[in-house]
Amino acid sequence: MKSQSSPIIISCRNLTKSYYKGDTVVTPLENLDLDLEKGRFLALMGPSGSGKTTLLNIIAGIDSPTSGSITINNQEISRMSRSQLTRWRGKSIGYIFQLYHLIPVLTAYENVELPLLIQKISRSEREKRVLNVLELVGLEDRMSHFPRQLSGGQEQRVAIARALVTDPMILVADEPTGDLDAASAQNILSLLRQLGHDLHKTIVMVTHDVKAASYADLTLHLEKGKLIESSPL
Amino acid sequence: MWIWNLLSLTFVQLRRHPVRSMLTLLGVIAGMFLFVTIEIMQNSLRRSTEISAEDATLVVYRQNRFCPFASRLPQSYEQKIAKIPGVREVYPIQIVVNNCSTSLDVVTFRGIPKNKMDSFQKNFTLLSGSIDSWKQRSDAALVGRILAERRRIKVGDKLDAAGITVSVAGIIESDNLQNLNVGYLHLDYLQQASRVGLGIVTQFNVLVDRPEQMESIAHAIDDTFRYDQDPTSTRPEKAFIAQAIEEVALLIQSGRHVGWAALITVFALVSNTILLSIRGRVREYAVLQTLGYENIHLLWMVVLEGMMLGMLGGLVGLLGSASLVYFGHFTLSADALSVVFTVEPKTLAIGLVTSLLLGFLAGLVPTWCVTHQNIVDNLRAE
Ligand SMILES: Nc1ncnc2c1ncn2[C@@H]1O[C@H](COP(=O)(O)OP(=O)(O)OP(=O)(O)O)[C@@H](O)[C@H]1O
Ligand SMILES: [Mg+2]
Repeated sequence: MKSQSSPIIISCRNLTKSYYKGDTVVTPLENLDLDLEKGRFLALMGPSGSGKTTLLNIIAGIDSPTSGSITINNQEISRMSRSQLTRWRGKSIGYIFQLYHLIPVLTAYENVELPLLIQKISRSEREKRVLNVLELVGLEDRMSHFPRQLSGGQEQRVAIARALVTDPMILVADEPTGDLDAASAQNILSLLRQLGHDLHKTIVMVTHDVKAASYADLTLHLEKGKLIESSPL
Repeated sequence: MWIWNLLSLTFVQLRRHPVRSMLTLLGVIAGMFLFVTIEIMQNSLRRSTEISAEDATLVVYRQNRFCPFASRLPQSYEQKIAKIPGVREVYPIQIVVNNCSTSLDVVTFRGIPKNKMDSFQKNFTLLSGSIDSWKQRSDAALVGRILAERRRIKVGDKLDAAGITVSVAGIIESDNLQNLNVGYLHLDYLQQASRVGLGIVTQFNVLVDRPEQMESIAHAIDDTFRYDQDPTSTRPEKAFIAQAIEEVALLIQSGRHVGWAALITVFALVSNTILLSIRGRVREYAVLQTLGYENIHLLWMVVLEGMMLGMLGGLVGLLGSASLVYFGHFTLSADALSVVFTVEPKTLAIGLVTSLLLGFLAGLVPTWCVTHQNIVDNLRAE
């Protein structure tokens, strides 16, 4: 664990998120506070329906809180407009999904290239970056394979490469090993930890699995809309 | 520029859904083929009946007669018409047609006095052959390009139609599309061969000095023969043609609605394909949004897909239509006058732009659906 403290990169204050379904109101996050230092690997745990995905989506800027504020790298993203948020997300966040969400008709290379297509960089620079991240995840020899020709673990590596290719400050992952066998899961988790360490990325990972959480350097539990530091077990 | 990247991305996506793309393309091709063919017909009709403003030709016909078989005027009227002030030149013309009703393969012979050919020939240009060889043979014919191509004849060949055999002395091209579907013969030869007899003609073409005199000279001509055995009816050539092919024109013009229907079909087809492909990819678009794709990017991805389908299908459809018309040498005739179907580059350009535009519009509605939904909900889709 890190001894000296780094600057705070993610800061949530009084964060509340409510969903309205007819007359019933669900409030998975209620007055939640969170401060996360730069470069940390955080595991978010908690029972099903406790709001882990909801919190992750708010951090990633694809969902917004009902009230309260969230500041990332000194920018209050809860005040941004939808389009500002989209632009910010493209530069600052790498999202890793449980079900990889690769585009089936595109090759591994083309999938990784996607986030760069809308950025102002040259073709050769783009190619360099895509090859570089594919190498980081160990898939340079599979880049012309389609998702259906890859194993689940390999698909998730492609997804990690896609999340990394824009060189974002923060990686978020929603149960990235939830669909994988134990060996592949271990593989992905150590890759994440190593990338976080080598590239100084801040990582927020949602998981159900205590073993997966052990790869992180900090675990928080979501209970009744709030975060609790120590394991309730 | 990102738009080029998205263009090639969209192309890759279309290529990797080959069956869906091909089926949609087939529909677009059929629709645009229909639309462009009808456009070509409309344009050809316009060009066939259109005679330029500086054109100052009157047509003198037998009053109350509409078919060239029925219009018989004494050739001797020529001298009387020539004396009317403002008349520059009078051409007595005998017309024989192999089929007087509406038909796709009509051959029209026009007989013109040999000594008038020198001044008459400025109405066309020779593609092959010569005027002199026409003058030398009494059974010689100058044949319009479209007629020659349709019958596959060249200079030196024989042409058989309406029971008359002529020898081809030249092939002609003309801005006046009527000239493309006729054979010009010696007047006396045609009069004898058609058993109409010497001294009788179908009509007179009268060239006047100044276009603005056309109306008064027409009246003067009709007044001259009012109490003769064969009274005349004189109109500008354009009005004459327009009236002769009125029914053909109506037929062609009614095709316009079919053209519009074809366009609507193309629009609905492309729009539907895109809508379905978007429905199946709701999550894909949500993923792209998560990766930082803004509405403008998604808009162009969808719209480019429509434009590509529209342009590819449109291109094939209009090439098909153009070659059908070009190699088919179609003419639609009535009363010895024809609508000659010709392909103009302008029509093809309009076809291409239309299909691009349709593809663009077809992509707009589906895009609105994508960009106005919730990312988080769409990520959970399927
Ligand atoms: N779009 C939505 N509309 C209504 N309710 C929602 C929506 N999204 C989430 N919820 C509700 O919010 C609560 C938290 O959902 P969330 O997906 O964050 O849970 P989770 O901790 O990720 O659960 P799991 O471990 O099963 O993935 C749940 O009760 C869920 O039903
Ligand atoms: Mg969840």
